[in-house]
Amino acid sequence: MTRILVVDNHGQFTHLERRALRDAGVDTEIVDNDTPPGDLDADGLVLSGGPDMDRIGRCGEYLDLDVPILGICLGMQIMATELDGSVGSGEYGGYADVDVRIVDEGDPLIGSLAPETRVWASHADEVTALPTGFTHTATSDVCEIEAMSAPDRDLYGVQWHPEVAHTAEGDEVFANFIARCE
Amino acid sequence: MVDVDEFITEATAEIESEIGEENAIIALSGGVDSSVAAALAYRAIGDRLTPVYVDTGLMRKGETEAIRETFDFMDSLRVVDAQDRFLDALEGVTDPEEKRHAIGEGFIREFEREAREADADYLVQGTIYPDRIESEGNIKSHHNVGGLPEVIDFEGIVEPVRDLYKDEVREVARALDLEEVVSERMPFPGPGLAVRILGEVTEEKLTVAREACHIVEEEVADHDPWQAFAAVIGKATGVKGDNRVHGWVVAVRSVESRDGMTARAQDLPWETLQRIQSRITGENDDVARVVYDVTHKPPATIEYE
Repeated sequence: MTRILVVDNHGQFTHLERRALRDAGVDTEIVDNDTPPGDLDADGLVLSGGPDMDRIGRCGEYLDLDVPILGICLGMQIMATELDGSVGSGEYGGYADVDVRIVDEGDPLIGSLAPETRVWASHADEVTALPTGFTHTATSDVCEIEAMSAPDRDLYGVQWHPEVAHTAEGDEVFANFIARCE
Repeated sequence: MVDVDEFITEATAEIESEIGEENAIIALSGGVDSSVAAALAYRAIGDRLTPVYVDTGLMRKGETEAIRETFDFMDSLRVVDAQDRFLDALEGVTDPEEKRHAIGEGFIREFEREAREADADYLVQGTIYPDRIESEGNIKSHHNVGGLPEVIDFEGIVEPVRDLYKDEVREVARALDLEEVVSERMPFPGPGLAVRILGEVTEEKLTVAREACHIVEEEVADHDPWQAFAAVIGKATGVKGDNRVHGWVVAVRSVESRDGMTARAQDLPWETLQRIQSRITGENDDVARVVYDVTHKPPATIEYE
């Protein structure tokens, strides 16, 4: 059975990420973000959202584990910061409903949602520059980089929350990610 | 989703084997989580379970009577009349976290006495999965009787619905014939109407909040909200019958949600909003103004404090 761990960065929705995976039929568990990388026995990881870049534990080290990783909200920003991208405060906070336009239809994570998808977001900061090797995959009126991917390394990030009930096609994002982990 | 019948059989067996021949107590709020935990525990150990419901005076209209009726089948149900004690403890308290704290302390005092009287060895709690994770987020301090084990040395704590999500608990409630808890009672916070009153909790504001919540629940029932209520948020000027009034401002909130984690403010018809407004100002002399809250969660929370 495919096993995907959810790394908890103290986000409010962490338990919903575990639920989305559980409901999709994969073996899943929530783990603390200071777990030694060697103890993470998984076919894929989800880096949860959270309130503070100073409380991301050992998430940076997990990026070298050579398993597919989905970064959600702060989880995506961790990827940008830990690699050579950047994060800054957006001009307009993204809360609740956001219409996201998919700009890379071939993307394994969110290409199938093209051309547009209605999502639920909750963030003040955003990724302001992509790390090397990443493709910009989605955008919106309130946030330029809504999603990014590096499919050859299987690293994916979304700025919105696919795990909450109000995001229209969240299950599809998880299904696409699970397919990369199998 | 959880297999409901299998869950009920397993949870009942687990409670039975954990508590054995001893006594247990559960704090019943009337909400779906503690109701389901109580019903499961009652199936397992019968009257060796003492369900305790505390009427804090911060309850909705008709709430205490409804609880008595719903749990009529439990002979061991204890209803504690503690209105005066809670209102005294809240006098002069305006900070939201301090209000929650005062209420939490009050609950612990009430349950400590009841637990000793019932000679309870075990504490049963309706903790659900998100409660275990969420308490870390510091959004709002979660009210429950979490501090009780520190004053009473229970042999064990039993949490039969600890792995379930809210909507799954509702499914279990339906299977347990607690239909009225699910269909007639919306989620209601532990601190009750106290968090629907900004600033100090007084008898006057409580009366307004209680009546207004009742009106909102009645008027929006057809729109099937996940949660709907009214909150007393301040004072403003109005004019009633040629007299200037400096009366309460009541905010009306009605949201749809799956799990309370995210919520959408409902797009209620103007006629419904107007009927709510008319009834709240018409039936309460000291309400000057009614507003409708259009904010989703996030950025707002569902409740006000």
